[in-house]
Amino acid sequence: MTFRQFAFNNIRRNARQYISYFLSSMFAVTIFFMYAVVMFHPDVMNSDLRKSVQYGITAAEIIIFTFSFLFVLYSTGTFIKSRQKEFGLLTTLGISRSQLNRLLFIENSIIGFLSIVSGILLGAILSKVFLLTFSNILDLNEPLSYFISPLAVAITAGSYFVMFELNILFVLLTIRTKSIMELFRGAKAAKKMPRFSWFLSFLSLILIGSGYYLAWTADLLTIVQRMFPILLLVIPGTYFFFTQLSVALASMLKKRKALYYRGTNILTFSDLIYKIKDNARILFFVSILSAVAFTSSGVLFGAFYGLKEETEKYTPNTLSFTSKGNGEIIQEKVKLINKELTEKGIPYSGHYSRIVHGRVPDFNGKEISFRILSLSDFQTYQSLNQMDETQLQENEAILLLNAISAKQFPDEVTVNVSNYEETFSLKKIQNTVLNSRFFGGYLLVLPDSQYAQLEQVSDPSQTVHFHAIEIENWTNYLDEIQGLLQTYNLEHLKFTDTDQVYIENQAEMYTSLKQGFGLTLYFGIFISVLFFLAAGSILYFRMYQDIDQDLSRYRSLYKIGLTRKEMKQIATRELSFLFFVPIIMAIIHSGFAFKALQNMLSASVLFPSLVIFGSFLAIHLVNFMFVRNIYITKLKKVM
Amino acid sequence: MNVLKAENLSKIYGNRSNIQTKAIDSLSLSVKKGEFLGVMGPSGSGKTTMLNLLSTIDTPSSGTVEINGQSVSHIPKGKLAQFRRREMGFVFQDFNLLDTLTIEENIVLPLTLDKVNLKDMETRLKEAAQKLGIDQILKKRTYEVSGGQIQRAAIARAIIHDPSIIFADEPTGNLDSKASRQVMESFEILHEEQKASILMVTHDPFAASFCERIIFIKDGRLFTEIYKGDNRQIFFQDILNVLSILGGNTDDFQTVRI
Repeated sequence: MTFRQFAFNNIRRNARQYISYFLSSMFAVTIFFMYAVVMFHPDVMNSDLRKSVQYGITAAEIIIFTFSFLFVLYSTGTFIKSRQKEFGLLTTLGISRSQLNRLLFIENSIIGFLSIVSGILLGAILSKVFLLTFSNILDLNEPLSYFISPLAVAITAGSYFVMFELNILFVLLTIRTKSIMELFRGAKAAKKMPRFSWFLSFLSLILIGSGYYLAWTADLLTIVQRMFPILLLVIPGTYFFFTQLSVALASMLKKRKALYYRGTNILTFSDLIYKIKDNARILFFVSILSAVAFTSSGVLFGAFYGLKEETEKYTPNTLSFTSKGNGEIIQEKVKLINKELTEKGIPYSGHYSRIVHGRVPDFNGKEISFRILSLSDFQTYQSLNQMDETQLQENEAILLLNAISAKQFPDEVTVNVSNYEETFSLKKIQNTVLNSRFFGGYLLVLPDSQYAQLEQVSDPSQTVHFHAIEIENWTNYLDEIQGLLQTYNLEHLKFTDTDQVYIENQAEMYTSLKQGFGLTLYFGIFISVLFFLAAGSILYFRMYQDIDQDLSRYRSLYKIGLTRKEMKQIATRELSFLFFVPIIMAIIHSGFAFKALQNMLSASVLFPSLVIFGSFLAIHLVNFMFVRNIYITKLKKVM
Repeated sequence: MNVLKAENLSKIYGNRSNIQTKAIDSLSLSVKKGEFLGVMGPSGSGKTTMLNLLSTIDTPSSGTVEINGQSVSHIPKGKLAQFRRREMGFVFQDFNLLDTLTIEENIVLPLTLDKVNLKDMETRLKEAAQKLGIDQILKKRTYEVSGGQIQRAAIARAIIHDPSIIFADEPTGNLDSKASRQVMESFEILHEEQKASILMVTHDPFAASFCERIIFIKDGRLFTEIYKGDNRQIFFQDILNVLSILGGNTDDFQTVRI
C-alpha cells in the first residue's frame, strides 16, 4: 500500500461520510458550469443581448463561487475535526505532521477532482434544458444552440480546482493540533449540563417579535429603511433562540414530570438538550440560510406571479394616447389602431375624454397645476376596466392617488380658474382606472355640471386629450399589440409625432417586466436551491459526526432492554427535531417577509409562497428520509 | 424452584467454510430463586459469551435457556428487549449510566420505558435508594459522584423494576478496593434482605467470595463448582485454590494472598 493508495482507500471507506459533501460540491460545480456555458455561448457573447443579462449571469457566478468557497471551507473543517481520533491513532503509530497534511491534501484533492469532473458532466447534460429555458425566458427568436464552449469547461474546472486546494490549505493551516492524549480522551469526558440564561431567552423573543412587527407593518415607503433594522433584530434573535431559548424550553419540559417520565420521552428530551446546545450554531446557520433561500425565491416568484396585476395597477388601460392641446392627432392615431384591431379580430372598447387644466392650492397653500376630469368620463373608464362606478354627492370631488402620492393632501380643496371658484370635499381613491404617467400625481374628478362650467373658462391649449383603448384578455394578444404599435412607431412611454402624442401600453410594460423578473427568478431560484441543499448537507454532516457516540449509547440501552422500535422512535424524533425546527423557523421568518411583500403588491402572494414552501419542504423531506434511513440502518448494527 | 435454567448451551463462531470456534460447549447450569451465583474462569473461557446467551443479548447455536419457566427461544426477536427490561436487571463493568441523565433519572429509566405511573416510580426509587445508601446523590449527574456510587446507582437501576434475575458483569472491574467492598455489600443486602436472584461474572476472588455458590468454567465447559460454608474467609481461600488448579495464566487474577 503506497501512501497515495492509503489516502484513496480512506475516501473509499469513508464514502458514506463524504457523500453528502461530495454531492453538494458537485451540485455547486454543476450550477456554476451551466451559467458559464450560457456566459461563453458564442450567440450570447457576440450578440446584443441586454447588458443586464450579462451582468445577471456574472453576478450569479460570483455568488455561487463565493458560497461554494464558504461551504467547502466549513465542510472540510468539520470533517477533519470529526476524524481527530483517527489522526490520534496515526500519530501514535508515528505519522509526522507533514505526512498527515499530505494525506489530507491528497484526500481532499481527490474529492475535489471527482466533484469537478462529475459536476461538469452533469452540467453538460443539463445544459441542454438550461439553454432552452433560458432562451424561452428571454423570448429569443431562435433558441440558443446546444454548444459547450471549451472556455466554460476550463474556467469552471480551473476556478474550482484552485478553490478546493486553497480551502484545504487554509483548513490545514488553521486547524488546532491537539495532543494525542487529548485526541484519545476527547470523546470520553462527560459533558456538563447545558446552561441558558432567562434574560437572553426573553431577549430572543423580544428581538424576533419586534422584527416581525416591523415587517408586518412595513409598506412601500418604509421597507427600505426597515430592511436593515429587521435583519439586525431577527438574526441575533434567531441565534439566541437556538442557543438559549430552545434549551430553556426543553428544560421546562423536563420539569413536567408526567410528560418527562413517560416512555422514551426521558431519553429523547435529555439527549436533545445536549444536541441542541452542541448544534445551536449549525441550527442557527441553517435556519438563516433557508430563510434567505425561501424569502428570495418567494419574493421573486411572488412578483413574477403577480406581474399581470401589478402591470394593471400601474398601467390600467391596455393602450392610451395622450396629447396636450391637439385632439385631432389623437383621433387620427386611434382610428388607425382601431381599424387594425378590427381587421385582426381583436375585440376592444375605447373612450375619449378631455382633461382640462386648473389650479389648486396644495397642502402648503401654494398653488399647483391640476388636471380635471368629468365624473361621467371617469365612470366610463371605470366600467371599461370592469370596476364599479363611483358616485359623488353635491360638492364632492375625487382625488386620484398614485402609488406613492401624498396622503397628507387636505380633505378639502378649492378649485380656482379665472373667475370660477368652488370648494369641494375630497374623496381619495387609488388610481387604478386610467393611465396617468403623463399627469404626474395631480388628477381631480369633478361632477359633470361643475366640470362643464370649468371647461368653458379654462385654456383650451392646456387641455389634455386622452383616449384609452381597453382589450379584454390583453395578455392573449401581447405580440399583436406590440407588433402593431411598432409598425406605427408608437412605443411605450414615448412621445411621438414631434412630441405631440404620448403612448402608454400594458403589453410592452408587461413583457419588459416579465423578462426582467423572469431572468432574476431564473438566477435566484437556482442559487436558492443551492443554498438550501447546502443547508441540508450541513445538517447531515453534523449528524454523522455524532453517530458513533449515539450508537454506543444505544448499545448500552439495548442491553438493559430498549426495544428496536423504541430506538427508531427516539432516533426519528431527534432527527426530525434537528431537521425541521430550523426549517420551520425559516418558514415563519419568510412568512413575515412575504407579509411585507404583500403590503407592497396588489396581487396575492399566498399562492406563490405556498408553492415555494411546499417545494422546499418536499426537497427537505426527501433529504430527511435519506438521512434517517442511513441512521436507522446504522442502528441495526447495535444489536 | 429455578429462576434460570440453561441446558446444553453451545455457541459456535465462524461458519462451515471457516475454522469454527466453540466459545461455549454444551454447558448446563441453573440459578435457584434467591440464589447468588458466581461465575469465574480465566480470560477467554467464555464467561461473557455465556452471560450474553443467558441474558438474551446473544442467541445460542444450540441448547435452551429458560427464565421463570419460559423458554427464551420462543420469544420473537422484536419482543426480546422488552422481555429483558421486565424480567432482568443488569449491572455492567463500565456502569452504562447515561451522562445526559441525573442519577435519579437513570435509576427510574426502566420504569419510564414501561410507562409506570409517577407515584409508583417515586416510592420505588426511594426504597431502592435508601437500601443502597445513595439517597443523597439522586439529583447529581454521573460525573459528579464517585465510581462506587455510580455502580450502586446502576444496581438500583437493575432492581427498581423487581426483575426475576439480576445479571452482573464484572461489577467491581473498574473500582478500587474500597468501592468494590461497598458494591459487593450492596449485592449482599439484596441477596439477604430481598431474596434477589443474582448471577455475577467476575475475575475478582474477593468479589466472588460474597456468592453462595461459584461455578468455574474453562474453554467453554463447566470445570467445577464450590459452595460457601459459614465463613467467607474460608470460602475465599477455596476460591483461590480452585483458581490455582484451574491454572490458566495466574496474571489474570488479583495477587491477593492470605
